[in-house]
Amino acid sequence: MNVTAQFKRLALTPQEMFETWFGSGLQLCGQTIIMFVLTLRCIIKGQIDWSEVWRQCYFIGVNSFVVVAITAVFTGFAMSLQIARELVLFGADTAIGGVVSLALIREIGPITAGVMVAGRVGSAIAAELTTMMVTEQIDALTVMRIDPVQFLVVPRYVAAMLMVPLLSIYAMFIGLLAGINIAHIAANLPPETFMDSVKQTILDRDFTVHFIKAGINATLVIMFSCAIGLHTRGGAEDVGIATTRSIVWTMTMIFVFNYIVTSLTYAPR
Amino acid sequence: MVVGRPSEKSGNAPMIEVVDLWKSFNGRTVLKGVNFKVWAGETLAIIGPSGCGKSTILKHLCGLLTPDKGEIIKRSDEIGLVFQSSALLNSLTVGENLALGLRRRKLSKREQSEIIMEKLKLVGLADYINTYPPQLSGGQQKRTGFARAIVNDPKIILYDEPTTGLDPVMSTIIEDYIIELEHELKAASIVVTHQLSTWSRTADRVNLMFAGNMVWEGSPTEALQSEDQYMKQFAHATRQGPMAAGKV
Ligand SMILES: Nc1ncnc2c1ncn2[C@@H]1O[C@H](COP(=O)(O)OP(=O)(O)OP(=O)(O)O)[C@@H](O)[C@H]1O
Ligand SMILES: [Mg+2]
Repeated sequence: MNVTAQFKRLALTPQEMFETWFGSGLQLCGQTIIMFVLTLRCIIKGQIDWSEVWRQCYFIGVNSFVVVAITAVFTGFAMSLQIARELVLFGADTAIGGVVSLALIREIGPITAGVMVAGRVGSAIAAELTTMMVTEQIDALTVMRIDPVQFLVVPRYVAAMLMVPLLSIYAMFIGLLAGINIAHIAANLPPETFMDSVKQTILDRDFTVHFIKAGINATLVIMFSCAIGLHTRGGAEDVGIATTRSIVWTMTMIFVFNYIVTSLTYAPR
Repeated sequence: MVVGRPSEKSGNAPMIEVVDLWKSFNGRTVLKGVNFKVWAGETLAIIGPSGCGKSTILKHLCGLLTPDKGEIIKRSDEIGLVFQSSALLNSLTVGENLALGLRRRKLSKREQSEIIMEKLKLVGLADYINTYPPQLSGGQQKRTGFARAIVNDPKIILYDEPTTGLDPVMSTIIEDYIIELEHELKAASIVVTHQLSTWSRTADRVNLMFAGNMVWEGSPTEALQSEDQYMKQFAHATRQGPMAAGKV
């Protein structure tokens, strides 16, 4: 192909670019929904390989605890510092704990854990499955009449459904501890006052919504990365493309769905 | 243009029947009405230039691809495919890779490990049962793929370049094994290969493929002596002939 032809291929009109992007995005969403339905069907039929689930739990959960803790600590620091600074000006010291913990349990906890799992786990799954796809390992499974969804997707999904909520609540507690400390150091707020405020503000409903968000995040990460992985054909270079694509899609979707859940549960009436 | 006649065995229906198989990828037609039959206890070799669609035919036979047009009739669902690329699961050991094929048979652990050991001994890899595929050489991976394909004693065995990348001695061992399996399991086998020793030793019949069609058919002996312009060029590996470079 000569240079002009290559240039022509790159020089898409904005409309063409949008159509390509929109078309492949729509296709991916469809593939993801189908993947989700197939996975649920296997789970309902009880086709779960528990030893593989534990192995995946280790990979998804245990290996994520450190990164989630680090992100949660610094988010807790920054948020608590900002909130303490502003609320002290209004003399509302006793509300600091409540505001920080509300933000953590309702938004920051699930988002932090979701994004870290998307980056660590979603990308790894997309890379692994794409590699299996391009090296014909998935074809080999099909020839041996092993359902790739049951064999590969179901254990990862069950493991994520167990581990992501745990990671979210863990992120929330780490963030809270960081918040208590920074409020104590920077705003001279006694930890007891902080905790009293937390207890008065947080309701059971906040925990329910927290776990709903965590479950949705787990679903988004696993389904998008598996759908991308199991639909990529081609060569080794496609592994990198699939990895990037899965990170972009899962992270974006985590933020979108987070807002949808928030608007459905906390919208002012 | 099919020259030879299939060695039709009295009365028995063929194990595999491919009728007018067409397939295109992205607007490029790879298979243009392929026809052939294979009977139980018989080995058909499919030879032809790289990229002419040999692997594509095998993938149709085991259901990985669906035809654009045409029909594939199989008289057994027990199919083994030896992949050109081995296609072993890298996250599982050699033994676990073989166990995958046995999953749906719900055997006891002991029966399962007996079968796995038997097949691995056959290909000389019994000591590697707990090794992961990336730690094996290319030839060892190929032999593992071979063992995995036959773990269920299939009635239809498809070999995609089973001896490519093996040393001459191991090639001969695998060829002997293909011959043995054909007799022992009464399997219908298809061997896709570029290696002359493999098709001349294992095949009862040879099909030469070119430009999306079978252009020559006959026995290995006939193939080596053929005056057909395609077969002659291929058997004697010359540049003169209808198969110009890059044309498949
Ligand atoms: N999934 C696919 N998508 C697009 N094109 C494909 C696909 N599979 C095969 N092809 C194309 O079909 C043609 C035949 O491929 P195939 O792998 O069957 O060749 P082959 O005869 O096995 O060659 P070789 O001897 O090199 O293995 C090639 O040109 C290949 O690019
Ligand atoms: Mg091939």
